[in-house]
Parts: sequence; C-alpha cells; structure tokens
Amino acid sequence: MKPPAFAYERPQSLNEALEVLAREGAEARPLAGGQSLIPMLALRLARPTVLVDLGGIAGLDELSLEDGTLVAGAMVRQRRLERDPLVAQHLPLLAAATRLVGHPAIRNRGTLGGSLAHADPSAEYPAVALALEAELVIRGPSGERSVPAREFFLGPFTTALADGELLTAVRFPLPSAATGWGIAEVARRHGDFALAGAVTLLERAADGTCVRAAIALFGVATRPVRATAAEQALVGQPLTVETFREAAARATEAIDEPLSDVHGSAAYRKQIVPVVVRRALEAAAQRLQAT
Amino acid sequence: MERVPITVTVNGRRISAVVEPRMTLADFLREELGLTGTKLGCEHGVCGSCTVLWDGAAVRSCLVLAAQADGANITTIEGLATDGTLHPVQQAFWEAHALQCGFCTPGMVLTAVALLAENPNPSEEEIREALSGNLCRCTGYQNIVRAVQLAARHERAGT
Amino acid sequence: MSLQILPRGKWVGARVKRVEDPRFLTGEARYLADLQIPGTVHAAFVRSPYGHARIRRIDTSAARALPGVLAVFTAEDVATLPPLASGLPIEGLKPTPQTVLAKDKIRFIGEAVAVVVAENRYIAEDAAELVEVDYERLPAVTDAERAMAPDAPLLHEDLGTNVVYQKVTTLGDVDSAFAQADRIFRRRFHTNRFVAAPMETRGCLSVYERSSGQLTFYSSTQMPHMLRLFLSLFLGIPEHKVRVISPEVGGGFGQKMTIYPEEVVIAYLGKVLGRPVKWVEDRRENLAAATHAKEQIIELEAAVRNDGKVLGLKARLIGDGGAYSFNTASALIEPLAAAGIIPGVYDIQAYQHEVIAVCTNKAPVGAFRAVGWTAAQTARELFFDEIARELGLDPAEFRRRNVITSDQFPYTTITGMVYDSGSYQESLERALELVGYEELRRRQAELRQQGRYLGIGISLYVEPTAWGSEIALQAGFPFPSHDNATVTIDPTGKVRVAVSVHSHGQGHETTLAQVAAEILGVSIDDVIVEHGDTDRAPWGMGTYASRSAVIGGGMVALAAREVREKVLRVASRLLEVAPEDLDIQDGNVFVKGAPDRSLSLFQVAFAAYLDGRVRAEGEEPLLSATKFYDPRATYSNGCIVTVCEVDGETGTVHLDKIVAVEDCGTMLNPMIVEGQVMGAIAQGIGGALYEAMVYDENGQLLTDTFVTYALPTATEVPELIIEHLETPSPVTIGGIKGIGEGGLLAAPASVAGAVLDAIWPAGRAIEQLPLTPERVLAALGGETGV
Repeated sequence: MKPPAFAYERPQSLNEALEVLAREGAEARPLAGGQSLIPMLALRLARPTVLVDLGGIAGLDELSLEDGTLVAGAMVRQRRLERDPLVAQHLPLLAAATRLVGHPAIRNRGTLGGSLAHADPSAEYPAVALALEAELVIRGPSGERSVPAREFFLGPFTTALADGELLTAVRFPLPSAATGWGIAEVARRHGDFALAGAVTLLERAADGTCVRAAIALFGVATRPVRATAAEQALVGQPLTVETFREAAARATEAIDEPLSDVHGSAAYRKQIVPVVVRRALEAAAQRLQAT
Repeated sequence: MERVPITVTVNGRRISAVVEPRMTLADFLREELGLTGTKLGCEHGVCGSCTVLWDGAAVRSCLVLAAQADGANITTIEGLATDGTLHPVQQAFWEAHALQCGFCTPGMVLTAVALLAENPNPSEEEIREALSGNLCRCTGYQNIVRAVQLAARHERAGT
Repeated sequence: MSLQILPRGKWVGARVKRVEDPRFLTGEARYLADLQIPGTVHAAFVRSPYGHARIRRIDTSAARALPGVLAVFTAEDVATLPPLASGLPIEGLKPTPQTVLAKDKIRFIGEAVAVVVAENRYIAEDAAELVEVDYERLPAVTDAERAMAPDAPLLHEDLGTNVVYQKVTTLGDVDSAFAQADRIFRRRFHTNRFVAAPMETRGCLSVYERSSGQLTFYSSTQMPHMLRLFLSLFLGIPEHKVRVISPEVGGGFGQKMTIYPEEVVIAYLGKVLGRPVKWVEDRRENLAAATHAKEQIIELEAAVRNDGKVLGLKARLIGDGGAYSFNTASALIEPLAAAGIIPGVYDIQAYQHEVIAVCTNKAPVGAFRAVGWTAAQTARELFFDEIARELGLDPAEFRRRNVITSDQFPYTTITGMVYDSGSYQESLERALELVGYEELRRRQAELRQQGRYLGIGISLYVEPTAWGSEIALQAGFPFPSHDNATVTIDPTGKVRVAVSVHSHGQGHETTLAQVAAEILGVSIDDVIVEHGDTDRAPWGMGTYASRSAVIGGGMVALAAREVREKVLRVASRLLEVAPEDLDIQDGNVFVKGAPDRSLSLFQVAFAAYLDGRVRAEGEEPLLSATKFYDPRATYSNGCIVTVCEVDGETGTVHLDKIVAVEDCGTMLNPMIVEGQVMGAIAQGIGGALYEAMVYDENGQLLTDTFVTYALPTATEVPELIIEHLETPSPVTIGGIKGIGEGGLLAAPASVAGAVLDAIWPAGRAIEQLPLTPERVLAALGGETGV
C-alpha cells in the first residue's frame, strides 16, 4: 500500500505556493497536515502529479483575536486548537470539537484548514464553521476573497475552492456572552467519524427565551447542513426540554441526501439526528445556566 | 521524480539524505536507516503501530512523507532506552505484561511516553483515550493501561 | 502419575516476567518485514477487483516494461505447481482445488491473479496496476443459503453444486425427547464473518541457493514444519533442502496456520528468479484475501420441560466457507466444529445435527481462535437465555438446571467428547458472585422503570484444548496431532530447549523455560527456548488450538525428566551415591540430606561431555533427550459475565465490566493465562459489537480497510476482572489444560447476551450479529429482519 509517484514542492511563501499551483494546474494538490490525503495516496484513491507542501510557509499557523473574531491560520494544528488558552477562553466549542477529531497522533499533525478543505461530510470542523458562520479566507491568483461557511461546503469532499486557490485562514465570529454551545455525536468507536452529529449555539434573551439558535448537522448529509426549521422552532421559545424535543424532531427536514455506509444506513442516521440535536441543545442550555 | 534532500535528526543523530517524494517517513526509517522497530500495521493511519515522536509529539510515520520531515527531530523506539537501560515506560510494559506478540508495542510505548510527558498523572480514562489510536490485537489493552499507570507512578516517584 | 512428571514448585505456577520482552520493547525484535537480505526484490500481487468473473485474457506487457520490474507471473507461468486443497479425510467432502494463481476464473474479490516482482515494493505496486486483466463478470452469490439453491451461480462448475458437504447425524433418542417435551423452542442466528486481523499481516521471503539447491523460506507462520513439508512437496525440493524460519510473528490467532497460495508462489519465485523475493502483505490484502472466519447460519430447536430441563436439541449448521473449501481443514472447519460443541457444558442426552458446508464468492474461511465454537456458543447461549425468559426462569437458574455437575466427570457428551474434569457449576456461581448478580438484577429492574436498559449476559463454556490426536478426533477432525521437544544441557550446564510449537505472542520462551527449570533445578535465566526454525527445532505441528501449553509443557517435561536422569547418573558416579539419593536445586546437584556434598551442574555436565571415566558402558556423553507428546483430550472451562447499558435512543452499547472466571487446570504462569483471557475477550467484544466482513450482492467487499472494518480500541474494552479456578486435568502431564481460545469462544455470547438481556424482549427479532447500534435500535423500534 504505497503512494503512486508524484513530485514534491515545499514553497516558502504563499505567493510561491500559488505560483506552483498555477503552473501545475488541476493535478496539483496542496498538502497541509496530510492526515486524510496521505491515506488516500496510500490507497491510490488520489493521484496528484505534484504535492505542494504548505508546511514551509510562514504565517499560516497563527492564532489571534481581532475585534470579536478568532482568526486561525489554515495550518494551525488541531492539537493546538485543543490546548491553546486563547481558544479555551474565547471559543471552547472549537476545542471541544477538536477532541472528537480522530486520535491524538492525528491531531498532532492534522490542521484546521486541511480538515475544512477536505470537506468530509462526517467531520466536526465544517459543522462548527457552519454553526458559527465562519468566514473562510481564500487566496488565489487574483487575490484574496472571503467565503462564508454556508457557501464553502458544496458536497462530499467538494468546496468552493477553485483550482489554484488556497484556504489561508478561518475567521470565527465569537458568540455573545449570552450564548451557550453544545456538540454531540454518535460514532461507533471513540474517535470514529460520526454516524450523526450536531453542533448547537443558543443565544438567550434577558427574559430567558431563545433569541438565536444555530444547529449544524454532520455525518448525515452530503455536506454539513444547518437545521433551519429546527432553529426557527426555537426562536422566541423558552429553553426547555420540551422545546428542544420539538425542535429536534424538525432537524431531519434539513437532510436532502442522507449518507449511508457500512457503519450506518441512511435510515439509521436520520433516526438518530433528533437525538443528537436534542442532546447538543441540552448541553448548550446547561452551559448557559452555568454562566 | 526529482528526489528531495532532507536533513533530519533521528534518535539524536543528524542525518542528511535524498529521498523519493513519495517515500513515507516510516519507510525512510525502516528501509533507509534500518530502524525496523517502527512497525507498519495498516499503512493508512489507523493502527498506530508506526507511531514515532516528532519533536516530542506522537505522530504516525505512515502518514507523513520523509520529505516533510526535513528539520524535524524524530525519536523511534530504538532511541528510547539509554545505555542498555529501559525507559520507565518500557520497564513498566515489561512488568505489567503489556505485550504479547510485540508488534504494536513500539507504537504503544511511544504513545504512552508522549502522553506522560504532557500529563504525568493521567486518569484511566485519559490513558484509554490517548491509547485509542493504537490497535492491539493480543492484550485486550488492560495491561497496557496498567503499564502506563505504573510508569506514571514510577516516574513520579523518581522525580 | 502426571503430576509426578511435572510437579508445581518454584517455577511452575509462578508469575514470571517474560524473558522475551526486552527485544520487543526496544525494537530489536525482527519480524518478517524487518529482515533485510542483500539483493532482495519485492513482490506485489495483482488481485481480482470482482467477486466472480472469468479471466479472458491477461496482458502483462506494460507491467513488464516498467523500469525496475524483474518479472510478472500469471497462472500459466506457475502451471507446474499443483493446486492446493484440503486433505481432510472425511467421506462426502467434495474437494475444490485452488491453483496458486487464479486460472480461468476468479471466485472472490482479492484472489491473486498475477504477481509482479520489482526492485522495491513501490515499483511493484506501480507495475501491478499496469497488468491488464480482461474479466467477464459473472453473477456472484454471497449468501450461503442462496448458494444452496439449484439455480444459484456455481463457483466450481465441475461439482454441479456449491454445497461441498451435507450430512445429518442423530445421536440419542431425539424423537422421544421432542415427544416428551412440554415446550419446543426454535431460533435462528447468523453469526458474523470476522477475522483474526493480527497486527502483523502475512508475509514471506524466499531465498534459494542455486549451487546447493537449498531453499530457506522465511514466513510469518504458526507452523514452520508443516509449511516445510508442503513446500517440499509442492516445489519438488527434497525436504532436507528446505529450511523454514518463522521469525518473530506479530500475532496469528489461526490465520497463519495454513498453507497459503501466496507462500507457494513466493517460494517458487525465489527458486526461479535466483534473487531473494519478499512479499509483505498490506492491510487491504489481509482483510480481503487472508482467511476469514466464523460465519455460520445456525438454526436451533430445543425440547424443554417446563422446569427448564432441556431434553433434546436439533441444530442445522450452515458454514459459509467462502470461495474454496480451504486447505486449513476444509469448509467444514466452522460447522463441523460447531456441531460437536452445541451441547457445551450442558447435560444433553438427545441431539441431532445437520452439517452443511457451502461455497460462496467470499474469501475462504480458515481458522480463527475457537474455530466453530464461537458461533456455536453464541447461538446456544443466546437461545438458552431466551428459553429461560420464556419459561419465566432466570437465565442463571436455567443454566444450573442443565449444567453437567462435578460428580459426573469424566463425562462423555452425546457427540463423543470426553470431558476429563472441570468446574462448570463452580465457575458459574463464582462469576455471578463476583459480578454481584442478584443486586444487578434488582438494579436492572429499577433502571427499566426509568427507561434505561441495563443488561447482564452469561456465557458458560467448555473449551476443547490440548489439540492432540485424541481431541482432534473427538472434535470431528481425524488428523494426527503431536509435537516434539529436545532438551539439552551443554558442557557448561546451560539448558537449551528446542520445540516445534511456535510462539507468536504466547510467551513460550518463558513458560516452557519454567517447565525445564522446574525439572532440571536451574534458574530460567540458564534456559533458552528455541522455536520457529526447522533446522533448530524437532519436527512438529506448530501452535494452534490452545495446544502449546499442554503439549509443549508435556513434551518439555518428558525430555527434561530424561535429561535429569542422565545428569543424576553422571553425578552419582562423581559423588559415589545412588542416583535416587540425589536432587538438583539452583543449579547444584547434591546428596539429599547432605547438601554440602554437591557439584554444580557445570561440573557434572562438563564431566559428562569431557571426562570419559564417568561414562558407563553404552552411555552417551550428550545430555540431551527428544520426546514427543500427544496428550489425551482435556477440556478447560469457565464463565464470562458481561454488564452493559444500551442507549435506548441511539442503540449504542456501553460495556460496564466483564467478569471472567476460568479454569485451565494447572497454570504454568498465571500472568500469561490472564493475558490470553483478556486478549481473547477483547476480540470477542469486537465480534459481538463491531467487527464484520460485509460483502454486497455483487461480491464487492465493503470492509477492506481498518476504517471500514472496526476493531475495538482501548476505549471500547471495559474493565476486565479475571479470576482463576484450578482443576488439574487428571489425564495430561502436570494437569495442564489449554487457555488460548476460551475468551473468544465465550465472550461474544456474553456481550451479545448482555445487550439482548438489556433490551428484552425487543431483541427477539435480532438474528444477525454483530449488534451494531443500528440493529439494536431497529430491534427496539420493533422492526424485524435485521
């Protein structure tokens, strides 16, 4: 199980990387942490002619706070998101989601940007980005553009990134202080991709009702999706178990083409969506109560 | 394909080599350096047998290209014992009967070393979670968990 | 008698740390893939991407043209090699010869069609992709029952059927048992196809010396001498010019106790190419093409009295043998072994079984720890749980009413197994006590009120062990089975033990050294155990079927005993006392009652070899003996109890703990016994909840990576509580019984039983294992047919 032959480039700057990608065309693949790409090479499911290693580019692994936004470079390692005090303090959801990604050795190499650009429909980060309404910063031959998460994920392993473009950073707007978060998933084993998962954000008004809800599902559809009907069912409602149950029941409306594989059929995944949504909502509400 | 020059420190020794781009770090260590203690159990990043320490962190050497390791500091199982004395984690694995066929052992030991470096006093749950990326088909894991607990006790007592 | 040959003492029964461990801990241990011989070239097999197809044409020209490629071989190029087939001498068993590379047609996905040899494995894989095979796809059949239908696609057309064996056997008065019963129960289970998945895949390295005609063949095998025998026969190389070396082996569990087509091909390539040829299987090949195991469809029927007494059983066992009735022990390996053990620990006086073996377009089935017995135990224990509940009896009580009691030993089962001794009742009671059974049942009822699903699963088992000729026959497989040990004391008094049983994780270098040390009165530091090399070890069958502690322990004891006598005879002349007045302890031979009159073993051995004066007429200087052992049948037993909680909303299972009480007679080393039990239980957890080889109806394998084929990890295995009972066997040397398989024999039933207990009565509809969250949830939702 050895990778097919390819050339290897390790540019030292973003511009150099973009030049290489432009020169090599569609058969070039950026290499971030490689934790998904290299197995695909070993299984010969991917056959790039050249790998463009982003590991030598300075500045892609920075983590900072800018006016209520956490800005994470695409090459920030997952392990850092799990442990960095900045993330723990301002966006603990991201740290919690990271702990569900694979295993420690995977997270030591895996990157935020790599996972988002890989766009596995069962992965946690895309759903987190979608729930938080993150902006994905993209650089290409014609300059920089920013794409909201809801327009970035187009299908299984398919994103809005065009050939020759690179994801360079993610801008996560920080939720308000009156927002609670939750993440819940069902996986066959610890560290496995989810059979169904949900990321939730609940913003509470002064009167205790819900002013804003975000529910992003993963592992159930061809891409991460927002359960908008369920979200709407929460707005203006008290944060109670009954409300959550009713809203969660509507979460499946968001699923157009359910996933199915050897670990769980489409029917099963759909069946447990309301459960993970309700559990993630309850977790969010608990966190609100704790504040 | 054009070969890539790299300089990498392995078990404290600086090594310069020229590698084929597609060669994995695991194959580089095993085939080029003869460090066959690093095992290949699946070559697609699930079993953890090929785990090495990369700047102290556990990394799967089948999921990294040798070319990417330019500048890295790698420790393999061969680099753990010093002057013929087993590392406390190796010693604890021996005492706790934490290995049978031994194939997953190098990866398990190095994963445990990385865990204890970061968390000298892990709970059983933390140990199991840290080891959950390493498959063992012989032991049922319980003695491995006990070995890590034992090593943690020994290391704490030793400091 | 047997205990006199091998008494317990300083070494036997001690928790000795394994002497082999340091080399594994430091990375010095060399497995097949680690062997580096100058000039080695590397092989990759071209494997079928389909489940069933005719091969129209193979074009190897592009592959041959790739720089770095030495050779590409297809069936045509290896036509002189005879096909592989099972040699099991059972009447009515149809052979399905398998050419070492597929000729004319392929019968399962992953079957080897061609082999490429190149300078390195990367190039070999590149070239393998360039071999063009023109396939004519054929309809596949991947379900054993469908394969039995008259219109099913045929795998082996010349047989005219996919059924390679079918036979009904009636034992006892089955008709009257069923006529007298108050209730008749029926149940069907389809046990999952799962695999050994040793962490080290298969692999071999063929080194042929043309000038001498000597083949040295390294293989990750459990049975070096058997492999040597067959390579000699297949390749036509005289046996004395074949040497098989099994280096460190990273687990086998039965998967490596067979002769694989790949091994024959690689051995042959080494011979014809004149370069060392190495093949290291990758994981995808291992999952697709190494033997699979354990899949059966088992239908049970029980005649039961209202008080719970089982009067008779009927079983129909269909073994899904995969594409070939494989050479390990044919497609009967699963259903025939299962048929014999269906009565298990229970006193059953009437039994009828129908054994059916069928070929399907799936990987061939071979041995995997507790062959046949896992499926039989799982089906029977789950069935008995349900009968108990239907009768309003506690499953533990139901077992009490049927179990063979200690006063019944030796007990001959209706299938002809002779249980020598055991602690069936005792292990049940002790396991229940350890788990806190009564309290758990109360807690279960409480939690049910709250809508939570706690479950307790009991699996009470007997394990045929010590696989010698007698137990093989009792289990239905008429093969001779024995092994040999040579024990030698060299001139400086150090001890070499060479054995034909092979260690691939079992720790023989420690346990068999303990046996020799016990008898010879030395420290295990002065003993070395050699195995795995046909030039260094005497002939024997290898390691499988929980046999090596019993057979290995026995044969080493016999040989050491004879060497001890030689030592004492020499020492008696040196010390001028009768041999029976001498003893050996801590490496010193001394006069009993006068320990100051002593000689070191060094002095005695040195004299034996180099001082002709102490040698009596006709005596040999060599302090060495070779002994064989073919033990009487002996049976281990135990009870595994699992406690779990099922998430009623998602169907996921959380295991709280597993208690195992086991009895393997005299333990050579309890630490190693526990290791065997725990490892086998973890595999059983995999079999009950996670692992399954899944094919679609076209014969595509959907589980050919460790992502899709899910092994349990450290987070899926709960706390394991192991306790020992020790009922020494009255029929084996030292009272030893085997321990290798009980955990995997019994844990799947225990774990699955706990889940079904938790969701009772919803689980009645579940037929198919493993118990995935989806199946459990569907059962809870009242859906059927999953």
